[in-house]
Amino acid sequence: MTSPVGQPLLEAAGLVKRYGGVVATDEVSLQVQRGEVLGIIGPNGAGKSTLIGLLGGALKADAGTVQFDGADVTQLPAAERARRGIGRTYQIPRPFLGMTVRENLLAARYSLHPFARKADALAACDAVLARTGLADAADLPARTLPLLRRKRLEVARALALDPKLLLLDEVGAGLVDAEVTELITLIRSLRGQVQGIVIIEHVLRVVRECCERLLVINFGRQFAEGRTGDVLASDDVAAVYLGTAGASGSPPQREVAAPMPVAAQALAPALAPLLELKGVHAGYGQARVLEGIDLAVLPGQTVAVLGTNGAGKTTLAQVLSGAIRPSVGQILIDGQAVTGWPPHRIAALGLAQCMEGRRIFAPLSVEENLQLAARRVPPAELAERLERVYTLFPDLKQRRRNAGTSMSGGQQQMLAIGRALMARPRLIVFDEISLGLAPVVMDRLYEALAALKRAGMTMLVVEQDVERALNIADQVHVMEHGRIALSGNAAAVRDDPRLRHLYIGKAD
Amino acid sequence: MSDYALELGFRLLLLISLAEAWNLLAGYGGLVSLGTASFFGVGAYALVGLANQLGVPPALAVPVAGLAAAALAALMSRPLFRLRGLYFTVGTLALAEALRLFMINNTAFGGATGLFLAGDAPSLQSLFLMALALLAVTTLVMALATRSRFSILLRAVRDDEDAAAQIGVRAFRIKLLALVVASWLTGMAGALQALKLGAVEPYGTFGVQWTVAVLSIVVIGGQGLRAGPVLGAVFLVALSELLADWPALHLALNGLILIVVIRFAPQGLAGLPSALAQRRGRR
Repeated sequence: MTSPVGQPLLEAAGLVKRYGGVVATDEVSLQVQRGEVLGIIGPNGAGKSTLIGLLGGALKADAGTVQFDGADVTQLPAAERARRGIGRTYQIPRPFLGMTVRENLLAARYSLHPFARKADALAACDAVLARTGLADAADLPARTLPLLRRKRLEVARALALDPKLLLLDEVGAGLVDAEVTELITLIRSLRGQVQGIVIIEHVLRVVRECCERLLVINFGRQFAEGRTGDVLASDDVAAVYLGTAGASGSPPQREVAAPMPVAAQALAPALAPLLELKGVHAGYGQARVLEGIDLAVLPGQTVAVLGTNGAGKTTLAQVLSGAIRPSVGQILIDGQAVTGWPPHRIAALGLAQCMEGRRIFAPLSVEENLQLAARRVPPAELAERLERVYTLFPDLKQRRRNAGTSMSGGQQQMLAIGRALMARPRLIVFDEISLGLAPVVMDRLYEALAALKRAGMTMLVVEQDVERALNIADQVHVMEHGRIALSGNAAAVRDDPRLRHLYIGKAD
Repeated sequence: MSDYALELGFRLLLLISLAEAWNLLAGYGGLVSLGTASFFGVGAYALVGLANQLGVPPALAVPVAGLAAAALAALMSRPLFRLRGLYFTVGTLALAEALRLFMINNTAFGGATGLFLAGDAPSLQSLFLMALALLAVTTLVMALATRSRFSILLRAVRDDEDAAAQIGVRAFRIKLLALVVASWLTGMAGALQALKLGAVEPYGTFGVQWTVAVLSIVVIGGQGLRAGPVLGAVFLVALSELLADWPALHLALNGLILIVVIRFAPQGLAGLPSALAQRRGRR
């Protein structure tokens, strides 16, 4: 069957997906024209990834049809759809961990062209790797790649298929401005090569600059559809999705930025630091990541650590939890050296971690996940702590019996924060809590952090989102290449021209 | 060579071939099977049938008997591949047990007493040479399977079957090919063992001891590593010879070594050099 020029590349009609009684996708229809980039946005848990699964064939629809390139592919499994030219990425990367980066791509080449010349296959893979910025990692095991490079690998692997249609599921999450610019350039450059692209993304710049049309999904249904500019300007969309990020210009100063209680602030300099790092160096094997970090967190203070990807922020968080032992330098809690202590002993001193990637225990319910962090607490006290977490995040109370990972990304992040609170810590380290979340959900999380701050909690916030971090922090450190490049109170750092330079680099 | 050396060599060659086949499935394909005994047993019984009923000479009967095991694998692939991970493992164990019980209770194949091979058994020398030939075939197959494009697809399926499907890999075919090839090799090993003993009976040929021996060899030698099966087999055969006079101590020590290896050297003996190098690098 030949495909007439006017026919859409992809046409899905009336797609329905149910999980038990829950309808994840409810009568969604969409079209991708040849040469078009379609964006799908919506709150976490709206069913966007489910929709990608239905299009890519990983999930079987309960009703509806999918037409691709002039043929009905509704009944075809994922492998057959991939062979016809649908390439997809996973939101949480799933590389072949035991293989090298190049072999990850070769798997795609050889599955399609088993008898191609080896030199051609290798050349095709290396071209894709160069394009996606992974050329230097070609011979490394995929297991050694950090999260963001794994995301690149997802894109590279899908591109190795030479797809006609590319489904990108949140590939921009966690990137800083310069990297987002790179991603946008890549997506735009693909237009000549790929006939259509579907993008699910929370990074609004990507959506704004790449997509012609937007589809907004809420509670599994089509909420709005139209030209990108019109959809982003719509008040309804702002209400369900965009939150404050949709407002043009700089975000308004929220109540979040309210100063600490005066008494505490006046006292602060006199207090001994709760946590102190002195000249900490650390790394993995040969790779040195942190090169002399000095940092102090006073009781009641909120300290933010900013920096580009690869600056060493997550390594810093891991050093604090005890997961990585510093090679040089000291970590002090209440003036006591805890360098090299195992994680559980550090936790026992009142340091709680809210780790990057949430790390929810999948087999446990929401409530069990919470209880785990407060195991030796008397029942009455436990109930009270649970109640406090539920007051902060009512969503969790509703879903207390659900499996921890069955919730949306935003709710899982709430659970991760709640779990950190259950230990009744004196200091919480938040590592990239806004990663991959809808703007409106980020607002809610940061409101919760602001409430904690008002209650006097000491916090260390490692964050990608500069604006949100500056709004909540008293003291800010900006990291670059494993060192602290800029420090000061939030207002001073906000106005410092070096911030923009460090963060945005040479992007503009 | 002395009879003792031939005897020992035969056992070693047979175990290496079995371990290579299991390593193809588990180490490269992620298909951890406890069904070695079923394919081993089918190969053994098929050899006796071919030799007794049709008078096929041993040199031909062994590869054909292997094909019987491969056919069983193809037949069972659909139900087995519906199961993933641990469930697949339990499924293969159930297959082996079911076949063993069937053979005990079915009188057509000699029931619990089994069958005897008619005619003279080949000399120890020629058995050794046949085992050597089997190892040569196994090595060739493994070289093809682990250095080729097929190995990339197989490892992709091992690491993440769903993600492999998303890039167009037809996982079922890849796994089927690995299972059929491994079962063919396993079946030939079973046939050789039947030839050597001159008899088959369900407890011995379908017994779980073959499965356990093969599994220990690969785990101790190193899963998914080319040198793993050889190192593991040499180590375990040497151990069993050293402790031949103290069977109880041998069993206990075997178990202890297995535990120590899994805990401290999950990549086995073959993985030790790189593990040590990594540790040194970290310091």
